[in-house]
Amino acid sequence: MRGCRRWQLNEHFDRQYLLNYTNFTTTIVAQAGKGLFVKQPLLSLVNINKFFGDFHVLKDISFDIRQGEFLTLLGPSGCGKTTLLRCIAGLESVHSGDILLNGSSIRGMAPNKRNVNTVFQNYALFPHLNVYDNIAYGPRVKKSMGEGELKGKVADVLELVQMLGYEKRMPHQLSGGQRQRIAIARALINEPAILLLDEPLGALDLKLRKHMQTELSQLQKKTGTTFVYVTHDQEEALNMSDRIVVMDQGVVQQLGSPRDIYNNPVNYFVTTFIGDRNILQVKVVETSETHAQVQFGEHVVTIRNSGQHRIEEGQTAILAVHMDKMRVSCEQTANAFVGEVLSVHYAGSQIRIRIKVGNKSITVVEYQKIDCDCEAGDQVYVTWEDHGATLLPPEDGWAEGEV
Amino acid sequence: MRMKTSRFGTFYLSLFFVILYLPVLSVILYSFNASPSTAQWTGFTLDWYRTLFEDRVIAASFRISMEVAVITSIVSAILGTASAVVAMRSTAGMKRAIQGVMILPLLIPEVALGIALLIFFNLLNLPFGHFTLVASHSLFCVPYVYIMVQLRLKEIDRSILESARDLGATRWQATRTIILPLVTPSIITASLLALAMSLDDVIISTYMSGPRTTTLPVHIFSMMRVGVTPKVNALCTLILVGMFFVVGLSQLFTKKRHKEDL
Repeated sequence: MRGCRRWQLNEHFDRQYLLNYTNFTTTIVAQAGKGLFVKQPLLSLVNINKFFGDFHVLKDISFDIRQGEFLTLLGPSGCGKTTLLRCIAGLESVHSGDILLNGSSIRGMAPNKRNVNTVFQNYALFPHLNVYDNIAYGPRVKKSMGEGELKGKVADVLELVQMLGYEKRMPHQLSGGQRQRIAIARALINEPAILLLDEPLGALDLKLRKHMQTELSQLQKKTGTTFVYVTHDQEEALNMSDRIVVMDQGVVQQLGSPRDIYNNPVNYFVTTFIGDRNILQVKVVETSETHAQVQFGEHVVTIRNSGQHRIEEGQTAILAVHMDKMRVSCEQTANAFVGEVLSVHYAGSQIRIRIKVGNKSITVVEYQKIDCDCEAGDQVYVTWEDHGATLLPPEDGWAEGEV
Repeated sequence: MRMKTSRFGTFYLSLFFVILYLPVLSVILYSFNASPSTAQWTGFTLDWYRTLFEDRVIAASFRISMEVAVITSIVSAILGTASAVVAMRSTAGMKRAIQGVMILPLLIPEVALGIALLIFFNLLNLPFGHFTLVASHSLFCVPYVYIMVQLRLKEIDRSILESARDLGATRWQATRTIILPLVTPSIITASLLALAMSLDDVIISTYMSGPRTTTLPVHIFSMMRVGVTPKVNALCTLILVGMFFVVGLSQLFTKKRHKEDL
């Protein structure tokens, strides 16, 4: 019996060790021949369902969060992303499914027992405690360290968020950005397995938001903490994340790297939600392994076909092209739409050109000097970068009249 | 036209305050009147205050009043705060039930409440004295504490409590380290109010007083049977000053509270 328990302890130790130093222990463990090493996700969500009354907020959500990554939950407001975050934190209960942290279920566990910490949207600093006491709150209630050790730790996390010297300030004496940093420091001092951030930059002004984006991703790299970040701002998500989970109406629409999400949207929702695209209804003429010939009005053009969708010849399909990956040219070019320029807007660093192609109006965003100095009324040729275009089968939610 | 209205408003308001406060002022004034009759002013004196302080019965009833008031304010602070915190954590239905029970004592006429308590305590064979006084005073003081603390709790951002739990605090730790410090100013204000209400209650105290435990207001009431003496005026003046002090103190705490809010 005693031996058995000791063995369990050893195994537990090994697991912790593995999780913390996955990379270089792989070989060590393999050499030790224990065969224990399985690349386990840090957190697994397994078929999570959640209702608010009759409203089905989270529908069968399953995905894994990897050790050390910056994962973003992205979606329009009301898509369930914050609810999902709160379920991980333990502030909301789930109706079915399971949440596994390091392989063991934390479903039903009280929030104070979970090794995850949250940075709330409005920071939620304790108004009656100064910065030092706010940060020291976690270790103090958990009695995880003595006051001497605590002092050093608070200084460490304050340095991490560049707020040394603010220990004695009260929360109401701090600016929004400063409160934000203290909220992050207060969570990080607990050394959580996962730091959950609920739209933490939402209340800041644009300039500060951009600055904090950089700082947050630097902080994430420096501490190696796994970040799960909730936002409705796609630019924020694309800038900071290792992986993005796009959500809508309580369903995970797509999970992938920012590049993947941006260039290869899997469905109509992701296509319209991420980036600015021109969306056209086309007729598929011919398909090959990598490309498809489609017809739009009198134009027949060749489009990249990623092969992840079933595109059938003779059917209608949705052609979506990034506005900023299209080019306007005055000379006749192959594989292009011909159209008439409706208007040209100079918007700082970019030039937005509206062009009438067939019976549709499309927008082209140019950043550099345009090849063709066109004016309204000119006839131009519109081309695009191969990977800027996506071909999708028509689906529910796609309304012809909208486009 | 505008000017006239505003002048009328000022006049009306002044009249209102004069009518309201003139009697109070006359009480203060006559407490310094040398003549024992209120009919005339014969000169300034502090004699009434001297006889007041020499009166052993008044001193005794003042002590009883103070004891009852202090204990009442402590008891109602604890009960009122506890009910407000429990109500905050309860479901909507339970919250409404607690609210109803809390407001009820304020709706029942004091005379009816007094008689009901008299019958009740008599039935239990409890001796009338400190205990019955504190129990009955707490009955109408707890709701005030409950209301004031509950209002303050409503102002507290829920995510503050959630973040306390998130950072590792148990329910009780979150209550002790976050909720209580945030509502303390309200508790102090409310218990000062309870102190004041207990000190000047006459109706219920009349029923609840025992033979040797007459509170000050009840005693004053009985003194009135032989007519208003300047001694009563002097006593009322002191009570007035005391009350102003208590109310001023509670205002001070309200001010401090607002400073702390984000």
